Amino acid sequence: MTASQTQIEMTEAVRLALLRADPELSRFDPLSRIISHDQFANGHCGWSQLVGNYENDLDTMLPGYAQHTGAMLSTLAHWDSGSHGAMGSSYALKIATRPKKGAQNVAIKRHTFRHRGRIRFELYFTFKPEASELKLSETDVRSIGFLFDLQAGDNDKAGERVMPHLRFLNALDGKHLQKWQFKRHTSPFQAVGNGEKTLSHYHLAPEGWEDLPSGEQRLCYNEIATKVNWTYLRFDFDLKEMKALEFQCNDRQFDMSGYESIRIPAMKNLWCMLNFCLFAETDADKRAFLYVDSVCISGDF
Amino acid sequence: MLPENITSVVSRNETWTGAAASEPHEAGWAREAIIFVRALKEPKGKQPVARVEISPDGMRWVAEGTQAAMPIEQDGIAVMRVHHFGNWLRVAADFADGCESTVLVTIHLKA
Repeated sequence: MTASQTQIEMTEAVRLALLRADPELSRFDPLSRIISHDQFANGHCGWSQLVGNYENDLDTMLPGYAQHTGAMLSTLAHWDSGSHGAMGSSYALKIATRPKKGAQNVAIKRHTFRHRGRIRFELYFTFKPEASELKLSETDVRSIGFLFDLQAGDNDKAGERVMPHLRFLNALDGKHLQKWQFKRHTSPFQAVGNGEKTLSHYHLAPEGWEDLPSGEQRLCYNEIATKVNWTYLRFDFDLKEMKALEFQCNDRQFDMSGYESIRIPAMKNLWCMLNFCLFAETDADKRAFLYVDSVCISGDF
Repeated sequence: MLPENITSVVSRNETWTGAAASEPHEAGWAREAIIFVRALKEPKGKQPVARVEISPDGMRWVAEGTQAAMPIEQDGIAVMRVHHFGNWLRVAADFADGCESTVLVTIHLKA
């Protein structure tokens, strides 16, 4: 073993020891650099409303975006049992849809990257419908999921805009499906307004989702609409090859060899973009809630 | 750490008619709120008085007591200040038949 290998191993051992002794980080497996670590007792941590593009008039915004509202800081307060709280504090991020079947809402965190290598997205989440009925309501949330919105650097050759999507399709039209899906095609771009500078596309349209191979998974929904359990999720993506590497949800790791991202030509103002989105979608005329206890985004650089 | 404060857009370019209300906003962490309702377009017909509503559960709503006349012209702004509201907030207004306003509702919360 060379001295440099020993040094690398010792450095990694110290890093892991520090991580595992830290109660706030120990639940994550971050790569060598932590880009952000969001705990929502500290505020919204940059998770803002995904607003649609427009020009001259807000009426030009595509309807998919017009329905979005801001994420909230929630104690998961329920009418029958009071505040549920999050894992590490009283507060979670809450992404709520409107009470109309098919309604969606998206929260976004906007960064750029400084190194094209492996990044890791980890979070603890749960989802529930609004407890407006004294029923289990386990098929009222259609889906929850996440996506990245990425673009190569301005000096990269043949740079693309790449948008990996993954959603947990919980139910569709009342049928309990419980499977992970991805998307490789987006909706066509449309010019918004009467100028030529602004385009928009609704990449979360219902069409085009494909099943992740062997992507069926039964999560812990619990026994009434107001009991929740937190679920771990990890997604690794290579910014150099613009390719998904690994995906884990709780005790399951999924084969990503059949996974594809949405790929579109690079756009003129999005260089080195590193955006993260979380979304919820309802399958009933009832609000769907995606709650997030904490998020850790890390990179190998 | 500085205390949290946030500006949240709760209704954007929504045309309010009939019994209208913003989506429920959970804000138990905040000690004070200011709510602005801006008319993005020329309002049509008689404009009602908007009211702040609070809720025990985010589903059942009662008037908190604070209210303000809806703006009567484009870019007019109604303002409501609230200091004691528990966990949920929304703004509601009842429009008579044929009356409407296209609104931008923003809630400004401070811990």
